[in-house]
Amino acid sequence: MSEPAIKVDQLGKSFGSREVLSHVSLSIPMGQTFALLGRNGAGKTTTIRILLGLLTPDAGTVQLNGINPASDPLKVRSQVGYLAEDQTMYGWMTPMELCRFLAPFYPTWDMDWARANLDRFEIPHHARIRELSKGQSVKLGLVAALAHHPRIVILDDPAMGLDPIARKEFNRDLVEHLQTSECTVLYSSHLLDEVEAVADAVAILDRGRIVRVGQTDLLREEVKQVLLAYDAAAGMPRPQGLLDVRRHDDRLAVVTDQASAYLEALSAEGIDHEVVDLRLDEIFEAYVIGRTQDWPNGSRSAAASA
Amino acid sequence: MYYYCVLFVVADSNSMYLRIERGSSTPISRQIAEQIRAQCLSGVLKAGHCLPSVRQLAKQLVVNVNTVVRVYERLAAEGLVEMRHGEGTFVLPPPVAKEVKAELRLQRDQFAREYQAVVRHGLLLGLTVPELRRMLAAAASDEREQISKDNGAEKSS
Repeated sequence: MSEPAIKVDQLGKSFGSREVLSHVSLSIPMGQTFALLGRNGAGKTTTIRILLGLLTPDAGTVQLNGINPASDPLKVRSQVGYLAEDQTMYGWMTPMELCRFLAPFYPTWDMDWARANLDRFEIPHHARIRELSKGQSVKLGLVAALAHHPRIVILDDPAMGLDPIARKEFNRDLVEHLQTSECTVLYSSHLLDEVEAVADAVAILDRGRIVRVGQTDLLREEVKQVLLAYDAAAGMPRPQGLLDVRRHDDRLAVVTDQASAYLEALSAEGIDHEVVDLRLDEIFEAYVIGRTQDWPNGSRSAAASA
Repeated sequence: MYYYCVLFVVADSNSMYLRIERGSSTPISRQIAEQIRAQCLSGVLKAGHCLPSVRQLAKQLVVNVNTVVRVYERLAAEGLVEMRHGEGTFVLPPPVAKEVKAELRLQRDQFAREYQAVVRHGLLLGLTVPELRRMLAAAASDEREQISKDNGAEKSS
């Protein structure tokens, strides 16, 4: 196995007394499209800013293609294409001026590629940037981030603020231009239906901690909802990967990770149950706002594990 | 919920149409595989037709390239298509036995999903599992009787 393109090890960061990242570790193989999921304030942007060398972590290390952004930020920037959330660009420049302004910073800048893609995205070369639409600005940001042909691309919520058609186009570009050119892509997004279709793997970040990392398709196989009788569930041990429990009279709706082990245990005991496939947004929800207080022997098992 | 649709011309007068639902509880890979499989079995896609390349299909449907690779590999393992290195993915003439078997499995898969939906509906209406089981047993014995009666009528006529 080759070295991962992006390696994050035990990252910690606080702003004053507020801890925003704690023990964040990620390993993203070369060529993978990886989505970072989390609610607002979960720590996605902080993680990304540390990866770019724009913030210094309090603990832990990060490496991009073996380079440490904390000690060598310029070298990282030359290999990474970055689109910030709500990227602000010089509004008084024109797209063409912006490209000419950026070119000297990157030895590998490809002006022909930039020009061709401004055309493809129908971005006027000589209008003022502040007069562009939101969609055009994001696309211009992408052209500016990719024109030096980076091997790693980091996009902070790129589809935010785009209309539904522009989002489809954006995701299509992601598949067409980045996935097929063996670029490693790390991006954050709230559009979970699209993430599910496009990303190889995802990480769920919740209040500064990674709560789950997994291949997108495996995640859906491993996290399931199980419907069963309350009394039957009460007579069984609590599932290892329990995420969410809702009681509806004598029925229980249980969301659990590592579902196959729990399902085997239920079948072994001959307990009737129904398995429901979950979508990525439901799995995400179970991880970040799931609650397990409704578990029949909740107090007992909490006491046992304490 | 929304859809991505694609129409690919695979031969002069034939085309392949796929409609993929986002935000469905059916995984995207299964949706793609089922629709291509159905079009192979129904003869819309004929032996020798070349399917769109992995990249084209991934781009048009906006799905991960690896997802499409896995779908093509699965269809190849089922003997419906052949992936020729450097040339593309081609529809194979399905051997009769295989075709019937694949068709049967397809229909059984579909049935399993409908069955699941009926059971869920019953639970939502407040029926208990033993009640559902009793209804299944009653329905099965009624239907079995009806099927054997039909078969008998067919034989005597």
